[in-house]
Amino acid sequence: MRQHRTGRLLAVLLTAALVAAGCGSDDDKSGGNDNDRTNGGDTSAAFIDPAQDCAEGWDGTTGVEGDTIRLGTISPKTGAITATIYDLVTQGMKAKFDYVNSQGGVKAGDGKTYKIELEEGDDSYDASKTPQVARDLVENKKIFAMVGEIGTETSLAVRGYMNEQCVPSIALGTGSPEWGKNEASPWYIGVLPSYATEAVAFLEYYKTVKPDAKIAILYQNDDFGTSYLNAMKKWIDDTGSEMSVVAEEPFDIKSGQNPESAITSLAASKADLLYVGISGSSCAQSLTFIPASWTPDRYLGITCSVKTALSFGGDAVEGVYTSQATLDPSSPTDQQNPKVQEYFTQGKAAGLTDDQLQDGIHAAGWGFASILLQALEETPKVTRDALMNTIWQMDVGAIGLLRDGQKLITDDAKDPWLIEGLRIVQRKGNDWTEAHPLTDYNGKSNEYAGNA
Amino acid sequence: MSDVTAPENARRWRWAGWILGIVVVAGLPQLLSPLDTEQVTRWIPLAVAAIGLNLLVGYNGQISVGHGALFGLGAYACGIWVDRTDGGFLVGVLVAMVVAFAAGIVIGLPALRVRGIALALLTIAVGALFPDIVLQLESITGGTSGLFMQESVVNRRGATVTRALRWEAPGWTGLSPDEWRFYVFGAIALLCLAVVAALIRSRTGRALVAVRDNEIAAEVNGIAVDRVKLITFGISGALAGIGGALFAMIDFSLTPDAFRLPLSLNLLVIVVIGGSGTTLGPIAGAVGYGIFQDVIAEKVLPSNAGLWTPLVLGLGLVLAMQTAPGGTVGSIAHLVEQRRTKRAQRAAAGPAPSS
Repeated sequence: MRQHRTGRLLAVLLTAALVAAGCGSDDDKSGGNDNDRTNGGDTSAAFIDPAQDCAEGWDGTTGVEGDTIRLGTISPKTGAITATIYDLVTQGMKAKFDYVNSQGGVKAGDGKTYKIELEEGDDSYDASKTPQVARDLVENKKIFAMVGEIGTETSLAVRGYMNEQCVPSIALGTGSPEWGKNEASPWYIGVLPSYATEAVAFLEYYKTVKPDAKIAILYQNDDFGTSYLNAMKKWIDDTGSEMSVVAEEPFDIKSGQNPESAITSLAASKADLLYVGISGSSCAQSLTFIPASWTPDRYLGITCSVKTALSFGGDAVEGVYTSQATLDPSSPTDQQNPKVQEYFTQGKAAGLTDDQLQDGIHAAGWGFASILLQALEETPKVTRDALMNTIWQMDVGAIGLLRDGQKLITDDAKDPWLIEGLRIVQRKGNDWTEAHPLTDYNGKSNEYAGNA
Repeated sequence: MSDVTAPENARRWRWAGWILGIVVVAGLPQLLSPLDTEQVTRWIPLAVAAIGLNLLVGYNGQISVGHGALFGLGAYACGIWVDRTDGGFLVGVLVAMVVAFAAGIVIGLPALRVRGIALALLTIAVGALFPDIVLQLESITGGTSGLFMQESVVNRRGATVTRALRWEAPGWTGLSPDEWRFYVFGAIALLCLAVVAALIRSRTGRALVAVRDNEIAAEVNGIAVDRVKLITFGISGALAGIGGALFAMIDFSLTPDAFRLPLSLNLLVIVVIGGSGTTLGPIAGAVGYGIFQDVIAEKVLPSNAGLWTPLVLGLGLVLAMQTAPGGTVGSIAHLVEQRRTKRAQRAAAGPAPSS
């Protein structure tokens, strides 16, 4: 009997506490009003209008303090060893910002010079951890914008949040076709060429080698890997090509396993081409598992076409195809390029070692940072919306370490893809030979992914 | 000296404790920043699971090094429910509770035959296997990529976007989603705590403790030892499941990595360091663990210190078992008791010489 009464009393008390707490919630916490929203864009026709897009209390200049702009990034610093190599992207960005800071800072479009500060978050490449990390960066560290976040699934996990918060996410270190949906998510822009475009660019070339090629694909079992597979099938359908995907094996890079058994299954298909659509250290490593009885042409996805990632394949990477959008600082040919030489000089000044300069992943981060800095130089005001609108009107040539002939065009937000030029190369010794020159698929990336 | 009897005194203290608990829960989000509120919210699922584990380990004298699996099971049961039906979040908690209760019974069955180290090993196996089972059932759990509970909404631009589900406070409360989630979680945790406290004081509870203290004596006294053990495992599992369900509904995303073996060990650490066999031990343990893991290791110590936290926790576990078997809460209670006895002795001895 008494137990029951106790229970009822407790329930009443709990409810009372809830109600009391509800009434006690102070209104001034939500603070601010419409006037707080700073509209940085000068034209009313700008792609992003914060007065419409952003919540009350939003401030376009959060993260800008005096002459310092605080940026944030998220990469895997801990967790599955296969993915942690991409933390070097963050270190590359950091080096670029350090270098710029050491030169006095970046001269923004508003005429003032700013130092850049980078807050680094770690989500272990685990999309269930990313939301907390992103929230910490936005609400606690109060970053102005996110730059070079690593990973497709991880970036997808916070896309809704970052867009609702109206915090720019620039140069996401992924090429998922999802980043083409900028009408819905205008605060998000990727930096890698769309994985769909990459697949198409290679097939466009490979059909000249073997028009009726049978393809076996090893793909990462997530949005990243399936975007290769889907784009490939779509291209074959759309063009009526005689090529066909005869074998497909998913692979999980977080499993801690290597792709040996997947490669063994694919080998049974005796396909003409092995397309490796996974990332991290397992990527090039997968080539080492190809049995002697199978000698397909091999293609490695762009995320593992740099020195550090290739090193996991040892001698097996000889003759492998890949795509390039940027210069490769480990390639003796590219090292002659003045842009690479300038990168070496500046990178050294920022404390990078020769190995770091050439590993290709620091260079990627260096390039991501260059794109953000370019946008800062162009933006008329240093506000979040003005910066984002600047990105959506970008029209520049090959900045940073981009290959000559590359153009960054977003065409008033109608083309959400910055980098769409790719050349096809083949590994020879410690260098690349060009199989097909850089072709710019400008404006086509969404079509290839089927989300136009 | 005092005009109230000891049990009556205890009851007063108990009520004061509950009221204090409610006041703390009600007041916390008002004192903390939204982000800190979220941080504290993340400790509540662990606290609830620890309440369940405490029932098993502290009061019933069994052991489970696999409660992380029941926690994970609850998380996925709730996650799949919420993802695939419109049944509501709170129903998801009930689903998790029922599923984890059943699983607790199943794990409890072998516990009728083995005990001590053998039971520990058996449950370790369950805890270690769980993530692999999640991976095997990729079609319903999402495998390594994870399970994302999402909804389609029209955003401010009029575009349809998918985003993670979230807690929205009913309009009349005027609460932010963070505050609302905290209150819902806090209320559920208090309810679990109250249920366990009431259970322990009930007939069943006394039977449960009797089984811990001396199985044979309990049996002789007419207690159905097997049934008590089994039901305790079930209820303990159900509470772990509720904790898991709450965990699933923090970010509305789940990956198997969160449920690897260290989770089971951490739950045990929380119970032992907090004070096994005490009402508030699991709460103290979860808060202490949270402060250590999320505040001290993350924000105070250098960034690579995170690698050392398991070692520190392990040492803490060993130390606590050696020097303070009652954990934090047990030790404090012990100290209070000692002082009270001393005072009583002094009061009894004091007046005599002067008179």
